Amino acid sequence: MADMSQTPGGQDPVALFERHRAQLIRDRMTANLLLLALFIGFLAWSIWIADFMPDRLASGVPRIFEYFGSVMPSFDTDVLFDGRNAEGKFPPGSIGFWYNDFWKYITLIWETILMALTATLLGTGLAVVLSFLAARNTTPAGWVGTIARRFLEFCRGVPEILFALVLVFWVGIGPLAGVLAITIHAAGALGKLFSEVVENASMRPVDGMKAVGGSWFEQMRYGILPQVLPNFTSYALWRFEINVRASAVVGFVGAGGIGTELSHTISFYSDDRVTAVLLLVVLLVTAIDLLSERARHSLIGKEALK
Amino acid sequence: MSTLNFAAISQADIDAARKRHPKAFGDPLVTTLKAASWAFVVVYLAWSLGFFEIGKLLNNADRAVQLLSRMVVWQDMATWQYANIYKGIAQTIAMAFVGTMLGTLFALGLAFLAARNTMPVGVIRHAVRRLLDVFRGIDQIVWGLVFVRAVGLGPLAGVLAIWISDMGNLAKLYSEAIENIDRKQVEGVRATGADTGRIIRYGYLPQILPVFISLSLYSFESSTRSATILGLVGAGGIGMIIIERFRAGLFDQVAFVVLNVLVVIAIIDWGSGLIRKRFIGERGH
Amino acid sequence: MLEFKGLTKQFRDNVAVKPATLTIPDGQMVGIIGRSGAGKSTLLRMINRLNEPSGGQMLFDGRDITALKGRDLRQWRNECAMVFQQFNLVGRLDVLTNVMSGRLFHHGFVTSMAGMFSAKERAFAIRALDRLGMAHTALQQTDTLSGGQMQRVAIARALVQEPRIMLADEPIASLDPLNAKVVMDALRAINQEDGLTVICNLHTLDTARQYCDRVIGMQDGVIVFDGTAKELTDKAAREIYGAEAEEAFSEAMTSTSLRPGDKPAAEAPRVVN
Ligand SMILES: Nc1ncnc2c1ncn2[C@@H]1O[C@H](COP(=O)(O)OP(=O)(O)OP(=O)(O)O)[C@@H](O)[C@H]1O
Ligand SMILES: [Mg+2]
Repeated sequence: MADMSQTPGGQDPVALFERHRAQLIRDRMTANLLLLALFIGFLAWSIWIADFMPDRLASGVPRIFEYFGSVMPSFDTDVLFDGRNAEGKFPPGSIGFWYNDFWKYITLIWETILMALTATLLGTGLAVVLSFLAARNTTPAGWVGTIARRFLEFCRGVPEILFALVLVFWVGIGPLAGVLAITIHAAGALGKLFSEVVENASMRPVDGMKAVGGSWFEQMRYGILPQVLPNFTSYALWRFEINVRASAVVGFVGAGGIGTELSHTISFYSDDRVTAVLLLVVLLVTAIDLLSERARHSLIGKEALK
Repeated sequence: MSTLNFAAISQADIDAARKRHPKAFGDPLVTTLKAASWAFVVVYLAWSLGFFEIGKLLNNADRAVQLLSRMVVWQDMATWQYANIYKGIAQTIAMAFVGTMLGTLFALGLAFLAARNTMPVGVIRHAVRRLLDVFRGIDQIVWGLVFVRAVGLGPLAGVLAIWISDMGNLAKLYSEAIENIDRKQVEGVRATGADTGRIIRYGYLPQILPVFISLSLYSFESSTRSATILGLVGAGGIGMIIIERFRAGLFDQVAFVVLNVLVVIAIIDWGSGLIRKRFIGERGH
Repeated sequence: MLEFKGLTKQFRDNVAVKPATLTIPDGQMVGIIGRSGAGKSTLLRMINRLNEPSGGQMLFDGRDITALKGRDLRQWRNECAMVFQQFNLVGRLDVLTNVMSGRLFHHGFVTSMAGMFSAKERAFAIRALDRLGMAHTALQQTDTLSGGQMQRVAIARALVQEPRIMLADEPIASLDPLNAKVVMDALRAINQEDGLTVICNLHTLDTARQYCDRVIGMQDGVIVFDGTAKELTDKAAREIYGAEAEEAFSEAMTSTSLRPGDKPAAEAPRVVN
């Protein structure tokens, strides 16, 4: 009977394994050390290029605290909930004083939501069409697909605010530029996601619709759309969240919404007005996140029941 | 069985079919609701586009032509100060990297304070979570402007903006990863009689580390994207060059810069894809 | 009358159908048999141009089918309905809509995109479903049906096209024997009562023998047999199937074991999927 502990080469398998293991660990160590060195080198380079130097920090950090101190509201518990006084002004230290421009903010927030909603609807519509053109399995012709994919890449590669900058030059200051900018970017981002969903859809119903004599539009409408609609909806809802955030900042370049007020306030005042607007923006974004998350979950729940 | 002939279907046949399968002819309530919701969407879109004055798009068509033609026709390419452009792009990447590293560092601590299974004290957990909501709820570019006001123009404000928003995002995602941890593996380590340090080292870390690395990588990718526009408010990076040259009407140079940025971002995405594969295998989380 | 004149199909360097010349008179029920990869599906799918022929010509009542384009092509597809092995229905739509989609060719762009079907179309679709004993499922979501039920819905969809020819690509290959029989009986009834030409790919011999007027055998893209069901002797079949003959025969024996005359069960048992 052969000795089981001996390999054909006559070596002890345990020793062989140990040697092999040690070699592996050594290789891994060298690779990891190399990566670590690369990482540290890149970090050092970044710190230097980004000018993130101790002297800058030493002078900067105290100013941060100073600034945040100056924009915090100061409350006076005696007059906290007081209304307007005889001269029609809120007493300093009251919430009313802090939110003196409350209704102006609300109007702008309303505009922001409308911008996001319109952009989401338009962007989703565009994305649906473009995704069918771009998806490899449904594109009517190879070159159409290539063009559609490149176009989508461009639309989602360029940030909303850059589109907004350009569009403000075109259509002038105001929410239209913002709506269009967000629409374009959302169409790009959604179009990519949608086309991936379409590429994963079954082509059998499409063959069925083809055999019935359906046109390309009918093949998409009946063969693909019913399969992908739940996914499309949940992506569109999720995009609405992102678009609300976007429409709150495109105002930085004059493209409407609360962003214009926000950038104006931060740029020109360093008092409690800054926190007043910021707080409203945070509330808006958080509320929309919550709502859309709810909607998405109930949508998924309904799907799961089927 | 009888042969089928569409043309021969009479009103009487329809009525008979309707009698036997009333629902097949459309529930009037559902039909109306569907039509109404479509009508609502259409009316809303029409109204809102009017509200946003869509007409401006056509009124200023000459401007669009001017803009687009200037973007496509590149002039005086020798005078474009390429060094500045590429320095701006390098600065953007550097800002994103430093900001993400800082964000990761702080998020590591905050995440454990925000996760249900590692922070039993509800008050602290909720306070941390609300704080994170504030970090995330304010857009990075808004933070950029805030920090420009606090520490002045330049990349420092940009790094701080990336740091604070990455910290908010990452801490939330990290804490979710911690909450989704498999308890059984931790129990297994605890059963060997390990102390707290070892429980964390062998029970928690192997589960969460790959997820953390992957999340931070994604964060770096998305920060390079968003860092390109931080310069619009003066917070350093390529955005400052974009807005300068745009304001000066040098649209061809803006187009060139944006193209370069798109290429660089594509390269970074590709590179971080490679790293993700090496450390975490094909699927990160 | 459908005529093939040297019809061929080539996928890159693989010739799936070698020049085929064939005449199929109106009202015939034709079965195409042959082993896997023989080119049966390719031949069938060339008829309604789901596969583009690479050479040769196809005529229907003298009209050149191979040259059709755009709306004419879609009209031709509407005239020759097709039933698939995997049914190719839209699973997430209800049965009625699936059947009515057979009439989309007659719709304008707006009504078809909006999914608006007239009362007449609904009544017609219900009638087609009724003919296949499926009217009671009209409002059910299609992917909740069993395979046999889906195939009958698919036949109903084909019927509302009011086709001249019915193509069926292995319509019973994914069905159990009882459902297979129901479906084959339906196809035969359509052929005999409506006088439709039915061209059917089959992978079992006895089904072809029982139901078809004429059987065409294919081997490696070549038509090697063309005759009546009676002429399809075991010897002829062995030649068609070649090396795989034994396998095909044993499979054939276990398939449609019920005879065409038998009364089908009122409702085929639901397949749990
Ligand atoms: N889309 C395609 N691209 C490349 N080759 C194909 C394609 N479709 C079919 N073929 C090839 O053509 C030949 C005939 O295929 P076909 O599907 O017509 O066979 P079949 O007789 O229907 O077989 P089965 O009984 O398995 O359905 C096979 O060799 C197949 O590999
Ligand atoms: Mg086949």
